[in-house]
Amino acid sequence: MKMFFTILICKLLRFFGGLIGRGSSLPGQVALKLCPDILSRVQLPEYIIAVTGSNGKTSTVEMIAHILTENGKSVAWNKEGSNQIEGVTTLVLGNSTLGGKVKRDILLIESDERFAKYTFKYITPTHYVITNLYRDQLTRNGHPEWVYDAIRQSIHEETKLILNADDPLVSDFGYGKDDVIWFGADKLSTDTEISDSVYDDGAYCPHCKKSMKYSTRHYNHIGHYECTSCGYKRHDTDHSVTSVDLEKGEAVIDGKYTVSLALKSLYNIYNILAAYTVASVIGLDGEKVAADMSNYVMKNGRVVTFKLGKRSGTLLTSKHENSISYDQSIRIAAADSRGCDVMFIVDAVSRKYFTSDVSWLWDIDFEMLDCENVHNIILAGKYCNDLAVRFSYTSISQEKIKIFEDIGKAYEYLDSDREEYIYTITCFSDKNKFLGLL
Amino acid sequence: MKILHLYYDIMNLYGDYANVLAIERIMQKSNINCTVDRLSFGDNAVFSDYDFIFIGSGTERNQKLVLEDIKRYKVVMKEYIDSGKVMLMTGNSFEMLGKTITSADGTVYDGLGFLDFNVTEQNKTRYTADAVFTAEFLENPLVGFINKCSEIQGIEKPMFTVKMGLGNFNDDTGEGVRLNNLFGTHLTGPVMIKNPYFLGYVAGIIIGDEKKLSTKHLGFEKSGYDVTLSELTKRMANETK
Repeated sequence: MKMFFTILICKLLRFFGGLIGRGSSLPGQVALKLCPDILSRVQLPEYIIAVTGSNGKTSTVEMIAHILTENGKSVAWNKEGSNQIEGVTTLVLGNSTLGGKVKRDILLIESDERFAKYTFKYITPTHYVITNLYRDQLTRNGHPEWVYDAIRQSIHEETKLILNADDPLVSDFGYGKDDVIWFGADKLSTDTEISDSVYDDGAYCPHCKKSMKYSTRHYNHIGHYECTSCGYKRHDTDHSVTSVDLEKGEAVIDGKYTVSLALKSLYNIYNILAAYTVASVIGLDGEKVAADMSNYVMKNGRVVTFKLGKRSGTLLTSKHENSISYDQSIRIAAADSRGCDVMFIVDAVSRKYFTSDVSWLWDIDFEMLDCENVHNIILAGKYCNDLAVRFSYTSISQEKIKIFEDIGKAYEYLDSDREEYIYTITCFSDKNKFLGLL
Repeated sequence: MKILHLYYDIMNLYGDYANVLAIERIMQKSNINCTVDRLSFGDNAVFSDYDFIFIGSGTERNQKLVLEDIKRYKVVMKEYIDSGKVMLMTGNSFEMLGKTITSADGTVYDGLGFLDFNVTEQNKTRYTADAVFTAEFLENPLVGFINKCSEIQGIEKPMFTVKMGLGNFNDDTGEGVRLNNLFGTHLTGPVMIKNPYFLGYVAGIIIGDEKKLSTKHLGFEKSGYDVTLSELTKRMANETK
């Protein structure tokens, strides 16, 4: 009876909350108050797929949901991105009958890394995808090993792990387990031999802490590594990206399925590969899945194309306090052979919390912008001075750099006869301060 | 003039490496010849060769590895500090200067023992906060960020007074420690970039006379500092309302 009422109230709150924009987290919060173990009382579907990691969670989950739906499966997933226990509770109860049965083929859960241990106290995923562990929002997350320890506590013995073999810290979750499903990329044409970024989180073995060597690096600490001491090394993969042509916008999976990329970035390829791996676990046809993924444009709005006066541009939503997310956007701009102007906005460091910390700027590989393709660089927002200092420590000519504290002034500067394509690189917290001007 | 960035590849969690760049640049702008060595495990650092030594912050596990390794320098490091030469240790690196570090699982690690404090780590909550500190030796307050999981008991004379942020232990009004010209603080990341006045003070000690330094190049640094200080001051005022 308690379950019945809890589900009923959650559903009602979800409906009415949805009308006022509070339908994703609040109903679950109330439900957990009424019945703290409600998640372990409901009857869940055969497949419960969880996804966590620093970057790419939302995109990976959206891609998985897209594929599953295209292949006739019914999926319950946290579309709104509410990824802590309250949001997951809303998701589960919202898709459940009043008798407590989730009436979907698959429950797909994006989970916050640090809080996964609370959500998965009540739900045991059948499969658990861990995408990567990067320096992400360190003002709250501490550091990647701190997050590793938190995720570790969310893993059940009976859950099958689906791990990124190219990330040494993520792979350590699978250490000594023989039923892990591994995904990764073969040596790619875009690889480098040495780390060219400003810090190296792959310098030391996560397992024994001695030096690691890489035979190839996809980017940052993602690549083919081997410990010089304990023998810990990149695991052979079950599913791989076998080749990539970023210029053409194509990636080949398992040597046979070509996927056309809506977003021509290496980082995006991992989201696609993770989604493909999940599809193969469910038993879907590889060729069909590759076709479903081809040219699929994410609905999560992270890439926005715009017109600014006579000029065209793309806003690449990146995450403040996450250097790899910035690197990813910078790589796209630097590769644009049409020639481009690149704008950075750091106005509010965080969306939810106040912080004035800009030490993460020092982890971003701005040096990549020192290339022919990149013409002017515009630094805007309250923290434009900190950006300017950071750029003064790159080899980029200071003449290329224009600084505006006022985002409106930066906008006016861009509204010119220049022909360069514009890339605006900023965070969720700041993007509307620019898009609102258009 | 020679700079040493020690454990550069493993104690560099919050952009700490930029401190070395800031010192290097202020020397160059002041027409002082300057070289930087970056050393780590397996290297042999000759402390007496250097005029400035920097160690940054690391993960709890990495700090323990460095602690074991740095003990081989115990005697020369003590001599370096006693001679009044300048050293900066940011984040949890300065925790190594005390008597012990107790990790979250209860293991007790012996520190370098230069100071009489004890460190206790836990793994439940990350202690993080924006920070505003003042120092007796500086007119301008310091700004920055604290990111740690430990408390330090037994620092009788902390280096900074906490106006905002976290002290050496919960509710402590003092932060960091100074031992001659060794500056130890949990202010993470590029402290010297974020605090151009503190940079001037420290660089002044390195060369013996702050007046000989050129600080004309620090325009953006000072503007950035002003913005951060005013943002944090605003917030302090709101919080006491």
